[in-house]
Amino acid sequence: MTKYTKKSLFSYTVLLLLTFVSVVLNQVVSHRSIFVILVLFIVFLKGQQITDIFMELKHAKRMWRIILLSYVLLLPTIIAGIYLV
Amino acid sequence: MQTLSVKKDPAFNKRLPGDLAMWFFILAELTVFAIFFIGFAVTERLNPQMFSEGKASLHQLAGLVNTLALITSSLMVALALLSIKASKANLATSYLFLAFLFSIIYLGVKSWEYVNLFDRGFDIETNTFFTLYFLITFFHFMHILLGIIILGFMAKKSLAGGYQTTSNISGFEAGASYWHMVDLVWIILFPLLYVI
Repeated sequence: MTKYTKKSLFSYTVLLLLTFVSVVLNQVVSHRSIFVILVLFIVFLKGQQITDIFMELKHAKRMWRIILLSYVLLLPTIIAGIYLV
Repeated sequence: MQTLSVKKDPAFNKRLPGDLAMWFFILAELTVFAIFFIGFAVTERLNPQMFSEGKASLHQLAGLVNTLALITSSLMVALALLSIKASKANLATSYLFLAFLFSIIYLGVKSWEYVNLFDRGFDIETNTFFTLYFLITFFHFMHILLGIIILGFMAKKSLAGGYQTTSNISGFEAGASYWHMVDLVWIILFPLLYVI
């Protein structure tokens, strides 16, 4: 198994775990604002895994990595702002 | 013929995977979905009661199963790309077939959700929540269909030995990037509809 295959499998495991955590959070966190922030932060973490590992942008040209990571950071932040402000 | 090797060619890793045109297409698609998501959140903010009731009508387990199916199909496509880079075309085709199977699970579950909602009397005209729900999820559904067609072309070309050199692998990378984009959109859509 190559280093890249191991990275992909690790990333997949992280994505699965974060998915289950985001679903379980609803039963664990009672405060609406904290719940929304945590779920959307998980969206960012999952998005980062997909862009960096699956899309292979981690070691690609920096500009494209920044654009995609900005998307997965800014969009959840805007959505959180709409829900919470 | 130049055989691909991930480790031996560091310059290969510094380049943008796939075609530049595909990345502009991906950015355009992500922008459209971002407008949908922001519109959905703003409308929910204005109609909290309606959206709360609408979300309660959705099947969260179906959403979870679809998330797992898409993440798994994305992994299969990523492994297929690594196999192509290692000059293992048959293995890459097998991974693409598995990705296809998981995307069929997604389509099946999503279709079941639609039918289930229709049977319970919900449709696109029920209220603003369901208008946005059907609009956004069906738009995403259509992207999955297009992605499946792209995966099919990739598998066919892979079997025919069409991805043997660094110069012609960009088509495979572009298709894989498109599929990951569809997965990325669902990663945001799932919590917006089923979790929050």
